[in-house]
Amino acid sequence: METTETPIVRAEGLKKTFTLSQKQQKLEKTAAKRKVAVDDLSFSAYRGEIYGLLGPNGAGKTTTLRILSTLIRPDAGDAFVDGCSVLKEGEKVRDKIGFMTSELKLEGFFTPSYLFDFFGAMHGVEKGALAARKQELFSRFGIDRFAEVKVSDLSTGMLQKVSLVVAIVHDPEVVIFDEPTNGLDVLTAKVVTDFLLELKRMGKSILLSTHIFSLVEKLCDRVGIIIDGKMAAEGTLEELCGGSSLEDKFFEIYDAVKGEAV
Amino acid sequence: MKLKALMQKEFRRFFRDPKLIVTLVLPGILIYFIYSLMGGLIWDAGASDYTYNVLVYGSSPAVEAVFEGSLGESLTLTRTEDLEDGKAQVQAGSITALVAFSEDFDNAVGSYDPMSGTPAPQVEIYYRSADEASASFYSAATALLAAYEGTISNAFDVNLGGGQYDFSSTSEVVMAILGGLLPFLVVTLIFSSCMSITLESVAGEKERGTLATILVTSVRRTDIALGKVLPLSCIAALGALSSFLGIALSMPKLMGLELGGVFVEHAFGDYLLLLALIVSIVPLIVSAMTAISTYAKSVKEASSYTGVIMIVVMVLSLVSTFLSGIGDWVAAVPVLGTVVAVQRILEGGVVLLVGLIAIAVNLAFTALFIFVTARMLGSERIMFGK
Repeated sequence: METTETPIVRAEGLKKTFTLSQKQQKLEKTAAKRKVAVDDLSFSAYRGEIYGLLGPNGAGKTTTLRILSTLIRPDAGDAFVDGCSVLKEGEKVRDKIGFMTSELKLEGFFTPSYLFDFFGAMHGVEKGALAARKQELFSRFGIDRFAEVKVSDLSTGMLQKVSLVVAIVHDPEVVIFDEPTNGLDVLTAKVVTDFLLELKRMGKSILLSTHIFSLVEKLCDRVGIIIDGKMAAEGTLEELCGGSSLEDKFFEIYDAVKGEAV
Repeated sequence: MKLKALMQKEFRRFFRDPKLIVTLVLPGILIYFIYSLMGGLIWDAGASDYTYNVLVYGSSPAVEAVFEGSLGESLTLTRTEDLEDGKAQVQAGSITALVAFSEDFDNAVGSYDPMSGTPAPQVEIYYRSADEASASFYSAATALLAAYEGTISNAFDVNLGGGQYDFSSTSEVVMAILGGLLPFLVVTLIFSSCMSITLESVAGEKERGTLATILVTSVRRTDIALGKVLPLSCIAALGALSSFLGIALSMPKLMGLELGGVFVEHAFGDYLLLLALIVSIVPLIVSAMTAISTYAKSVKEASSYTGVIMIVVMVLSLVSTFLSGIGDWVAAVPVLGTVVAVQRILEGGVVLLVGLIAIAVNLAFTALFIFVTARMLGSERIMFGK
């Protein structure tokens, strides 16, 4: 794998604490009013690689990615995307990233073609460049066949393709993807994984979060294992696993961190 | 460019959806037709061309003369000697009504002493309320008989001379009624017009997750807030205009007056101020609702908040109708200032200062709400809190 020494995404001592509502306290079976979601988390992702944040539900993966995409602010620490601080240069950071999560939806009333143009304008992409990019991406991912069909009338697979393409309308250097295949059927999941590999071929840097071992093994160049908001281990798959499977290694680390077997 | 694209999106979302256009224009059209119809029913009721074939049992030349004098050629009186047969004919519907006078009615009425304790002479009208002509004759006859009874024991008259007593012109009457009602109606209509559009566009987008998709782009939060408030204000203003025209055009019909001349008596400047007041209150309400919708987690939650505010605004605008002599300080109160200014314009008062202050207050509060919305769009607790 080819990387340079300058990380394109750098997280430094990120910390994020949430206040729990009474309902959340009941759900989490805790009397504590605050929960530390991310605790002094640091890592680096390099240009041109796919970096995976692996961890169980509630480990702090989504919170970390939301901090990186400037949707939420860390209580302490900072993160940098291509040298821009998420705390001080939010707008610049948002122009450098494409953020994908199942929570971000597209208005069903509009067509893929219109939404592509709209989000292009939101990122300040110049009209001529936008038209050329639309033609390129729509034909590459087969969206041109349904470019003028309302989003609400598209199949899940088609919709997923449109969401992916809209997220990279502004040709970002970094694509951040929260649980890319969560809740998707096998065909749509393949659309997503193929898309990520295609992005990598295009030279993009990708940061994704997942709890699926096979996805990490298939896609990621390097992986960071998050448990209870802390970085428990980080490295390439070879460095981390040393011959054993990722799943076995993960539970070995998990047991060591938690001090108990799963 | 970003703000322009945001605004275009709102317009496109609205004007490409026939259902939404219908919800915008329909209230005005419905108001016009319903009010016109109500006015027509109220004022045309007495003017229908019925013919009354009425049987008379007994005799009262005086009353019959009153009937014939008032109902003219539409009335045909036929004498009958058989009361029961007359009743049967009314029941069968072959005649309009039967009027039965007690014996020697006119003389008995003339010599009747209410203090004597004996029963008064009687007129009995047999009719069928389900039959329109019959019911109409009954109403006319009872009214005429009551008037006739009044003239028999006449002690004094009020305004019975032929001259003009009410020196208000028709347009002044219309304006007095409009002045009281219109501000309330205008504010209520603007409010409901804004509510249907804004809640769906802001709280709806937040609930569906499409607003978050815009938040991860590099567009400024202020642009997102402006990109909602400006186009939604234009759309809501169109909806309010539709309802306003519906009311303004149907109101004279509702009150049985002709429209001619009503709208030309005010100076052009008054209309300009009126328009500016209405135009300035729309973004105020839209921006307030945008702020509420941004805060709310769902359309349902937002509509329950705005429901409360709507009641407060309605009460404010209604209360001002009954309050006279409020000082000019009222212009500084959002909504209430506008309502009072509109009211004063319609009543013909001099209101330039009050109007201008009300407009300035509306715009200042709009800016405040846009600022608050932009801040909330940047708040993770409000935008992404569970």
